[in-house]
Amino acid sequence: MIHSLFLINSSGDIFLEKHWKSVVSRSVCDYFFEAQERATEAENVPPVIPTPHHYLLSVYRHKIFFVAVIQTEVPPLFVIEFLHRVVDTFQDYFGVCSEPVIKDNVVVVYEVLEEMLDNGFPLATESNILKELIKPPTILRTVVNTITGSTNVGDQLPTGQLSVVPWRRTGVKYTNNEAYFDVIEEIDAIIDKSGSPITAEIQGVIDACVKLTGMPDLTLSFMNPRLLDDVSFHPCVRFKRWESERILSFIPPDGNFRLLSYHVSAQNLVAIPVYVKHNISFRDSSSLGRFEITVGPKQTMGKTIEGVIVTSQMPKGVLNMSLTPSQGTHTFDPVTKILSWDVGKINPQKLPSLKGTVSLQAGASKPDENPTINLQFKIQQLAISGLKVNRLDMYGEKYKPFKGIKYMTKAGKFQVRT
Amino acid sequence: MPYLGSEDMVKELKKALCNPHVQADRLRYRNVIQRVIRHMTQGLDMSGVFMEMVKASATVDIVQKKLVYLYMCTYAPLKPDLALLAINTLCKDCSDPNPMVRGLALRSMCSLRMPGVQEYIQQPVLNGLRDKASYVRRVAVLGCAKMHNLHGDSEVDGALVNELYSLLRDQDPIVVVNCLRSLEEILKQEGGVVINKPIAHHLLNRMSKLDQWGQAEVLNFLLRYQPRSEEELFDILNLLDSFLKSSSPGVVMGATKLFLILAKKFPHVQTDVLVQVKGPLLAACSSESRELCFAALCHVRQILRSLPGHFSSHYKKFFCSYSEPHYIKLQKVEVLCELVNDENVQQVLEELRGYCTDVSADFAQAAIFAIGGIARTYTDHCVQILTELLGLRQEHITTAVVQTFRDLVWLCPQCTEAVCQALPGCEENIQDSEGKQALIWLLGVHGERIPNAPYVLEDFVENVKSETFPAVKMELLTALLRLFLSRPAECQDMLGRLLYYCIEEEKDMAVRDRGLFYYRLLLAGIDEVKRILCSPKSDPSLGLLEDQAERPVNSWASDFNTLVPVYGKACWATISKCQRTERRVPELPNTASFATSGPLIPEENKEMVQELPDSGALMLVPNCQLTAEYFEKTWLRLKVAHQQVLPWQGAVHPDTLQMALQVVNIQTIAMSRAGAQPWKAYLSAQDDTGCLFLTELLLEPENLEMQISVKQNEARSETLNSFISVLETVIGTIGEIKS
Repeated sequence: MIHSLFLINSSGDIFLEKHWKSVVSRSVCDYFFEAQERATEAENVPPVIPTPHHYLLSVYRHKIFFVAVIQTEVPPLFVIEFLHRVVDTFQDYFGVCSEPVIKDNVVVVYEVLEEMLDNGFPLATESNILKELIKPPTILRTVVNTITGSTNVGDQLPTGQLSVVPWRRTGVKYTNNEAYFDVIEEIDAIIDKSGSPITAEIQGVIDACVKLTGMPDLTLSFMNPRLLDDVSFHPCVRFKRWESERILSFIPPDGNFRLLSYHVSAQNLVAIPVYVKHNISFRDSSSLGRFEITVGPKQTMGKTIEGVIVTSQMPKGVLNMSLTPSQGTHTFDPVTKILSWDVGKINPQKLPSLKGTVSLQAGASKPDENPTINLQFKIQQLAISGLKVNRLDMYGEKYKPFKGIKYMTKAGKFQVRT
Repeated sequence: MPYLGSEDMVKELKKALCNPHVQADRLRYRNVIQRVIRHMTQGLDMSGVFMEMVKASATVDIVQKKLVYLYMCTYAPLKPDLALLAINTLCKDCSDPNPMVRGLALRSMCSLRMPGVQEYIQQPVLNGLRDKASYVRRVAVLGCAKMHNLHGDSEVDGALVNELYSLLRDQDPIVVVNCLRSLEEILKQEGGVVINKPIAHHLLNRMSKLDQWGQAEVLNFLLRYQPRSEEELFDILNLLDSFLKSSSPGVVMGATKLFLILAKKFPHVQTDVLVQVKGPLLAACSSESRELCFAALCHVRQILRSLPGHFSSHYKKFFCSYSEPHYIKLQKVEVLCELVNDENVQQVLEELRGYCTDVSADFAQAAIFAIGGIARTYTDHCVQILTELLGLRQEHITTAVVQTFRDLVWLCPQCTEAVCQALPGCEENIQDSEGKQALIWLLGVHGERIPNAPYVLEDFVENVKSETFPAVKMELLTALLRLFLSRPAECQDMLGRLLYYCIEEEKDMAVRDRGLFYYRLLLAGIDEVKRILCSPKSDPSLGLLEDQAERPVNSWASDFNTLVPVYGKACWATISKCQRTERRVPELPNTASFATSGPLIPEENKEMVQELPDSGALMLVPNCQLTAEYFEKTWLRLKVAHQQVLPWQGAVHPDTLQMALQVVNIQTIAMSRAGAQPWKAYLSAQDDTGCLFLTELLLEPENLEMQISVKQNEARSETLNSFISVLETVIGTIGEIKS
């Protein structure tokens, strides 16, 4: 299915290649480089590129292109998903996934890739099973290995895959039994000039970290399960039970996993927690423009908005900006024309603002379009959709686990048009 | 890679590998090997140390083993004789007590990819199939496929295949999936693995135990299974219901496709499924991964072609956000264009209007063309927006708008007036060939309604010497001649100048010939010119033809979740065709008899060679009307001279077909009404020598093909062939427009 994999950095160097079926010459990447050249920015390289004898499917993450070479008809989503899984695995193994890290750990990378695919077919992709086959490098382990000369390869086969529950290994033991759930919601929204949302939707996930001994059987119920109508589950969740009782019943995998993801897109259910007041004008006559934005909270249910970062791509005609923020720091890159303002926390008593003038290219005509403002923010202890977990029960084991639930709301693709 | 001194490096590494002190120190030894691997991954030729690396494989250190195996798999094809030395160690490792070592050795051995290795790996692979550790069985099962590939795809080992079929019942889910994958490769020549009822039901029951990749692949294999009864079919669908809600988009798409294919006789089930996966699909469209978004959007477009209203209420999901990559934006614009309806048209147009001033010229133009597409239904509003855009006086915007206008005027003549009023002034902002052609065409065809048309064209005539595009000059000739017919006084002089230039000074032959042609045409008299140049100025029926393109779900169900929606079918066909011929080439040396490579002309070309000489010989006479009685009599008297089938999907629109046939002078005698089953039509045609062609078209919807029978009153094979090729072309074209 997947013939070969090439890792290419954004300047167009192949820094890693791996072949599963037969060796495909590097020259196949020339087609990719052509596409890369044609696309002005790395992000714009199309994910599927046909060549006379192969198809190149790629994903672009962490400034690296992961290019899979395919020779037969494949379901495209399958391959793309798999490539993302590869990236996730690297990230999981090395903490970050970047070119130098991959180069440093090239041996582990090869070992991992070898286990993930055989003859081009996905084999072991669950990271907790992989980690039993090949131990991830840690500073401590490197030191220990250097002293004792031992290796980072597991001596035993993972038992997990042999248990009756394929996603959970048998014989798990912990001294502290804990189960944590994070409800994380991202708001994707486009806000129009007047401040009313054009589109708004919430992409939510519940990520779990479960460290429980034995074979626990958990049930999780919500105060308001009706909110969730567009949901997808981890394979461990018993779907029939959800359909009939709206209760999540499952034997959890060991360690970190994504229990479910959901969407809330009905407009009236999506609250927008921030507003941006803006006054941006490029005057025709003089070469100076006015720029003023203020960020403020709304519908936050009393929680603080933090980690606010405002970025905006200015039109080409803008030469420079002289601005003063009431709080935080700001930068303007005259080459890329990107304005970035790190605001920090929003204090509702004293709203942060950024004011000043914009100097424009003399003689050039007024830009047609006002810039779009991108917003990032975080709100702790709040799920903006109002989703609330009611209770978590455990059956099948006798001990009492420690349970914890955290809520968080973040901005996803949140932009304000001006 | 420009890496000087790589030879020195090989030497140095070789020395280090041979050094007994290094060999004694496990850690140092491994480090040297790691360095070799690192250089290898950077593309340096490390085959020089092969011998030393083979020696290093005899170790208890499992990491070192792994590294050496990795090295050997890369360089074995280059050094086959040396690699044989390694086989021994590998064979020994295949009976190691540690299952991980066994698996590793077996996998490496199967991946050596060098001639002669088959005889050594056969036994270890067979042993591996019965190993008690599932890890080894997984490797062994795939090893069977690799072994088969090494054999050169010649004979299929029946015993091995049976063994693999029985391993489908293995308790390890990955072994099961690997068996399918392996069988599929081994049995490629026979059409892949066979899914019969027991296997299908077994797989269905194991589905929930598989990982997401396994699920996606099994769903794909299950497409081959044809349930015996309706009851069984719905049982299967019930079992698979939960996979439509899987967290993996790949599984959701696989399940959707299976539903669509299995339920091909139950349109309401298909529609139901598409409603069910709407949520997951939309989720994928706004997924974090851009690539997933893109693939999902391509599929949304495909669904929209059959169910235009399917996503209309979610139109806002397809609004572009600033930071998205181009390829997604372009897809979204296409989607928006297709899901417009009376309720959302206002908002969608407003949004598209915003994109028209985007920084990226490509995206802006795509948005303008999209508005042009919507204008076919909502003409007035769109023309107004487009006219406003002209006011911006941006080059790339103006040229796109003018091109849109040209297409629009042709399809929706009612907007001609508005377009004509908007045009003056555009010429200043158009520089590219496409835009100029469009503007000149508009000025020529509708010049009598645009007061300053002659003056604009005059400017073009003045500057014709510096014009770089021949296509623009051709268009200018035609347009000016057309305008001359309606406004002779203003155009006569410059037409003379242009013709003079084209005939006397122009270097491009096509332009010159066109000039000469028009000159001679003018000599033939003004009536003749009018007869030839004044064709209809619009063709609304073309727009209707395209609108009818609401395709049945079944026409694309088999392409769902493949690369076809991403590329488009035609493009895909050429790619895979190209690949097929390519694959055929390397096989040639392997085949023992060279007789197969005898005929020098490939089949496709041969057909061409036959057809070419007589393609011009056939002249069908227009207006040969036969009475139905005469047709019937002749039809019964004659024998079928030629019979063939053409692929055909969906129903027939008799009017379209009739019209198309009319164009090539084939008359329709009788036709079933639309939707009749089976559908039939009788056609007749006569060539200039008086030879009659009588044709019957027969369409049985379940076969997806059209059967053509032709009878001829004089047996002449060459004209028969050309007649059939004409007929094929027409039917092929109509089929494409529809699908």
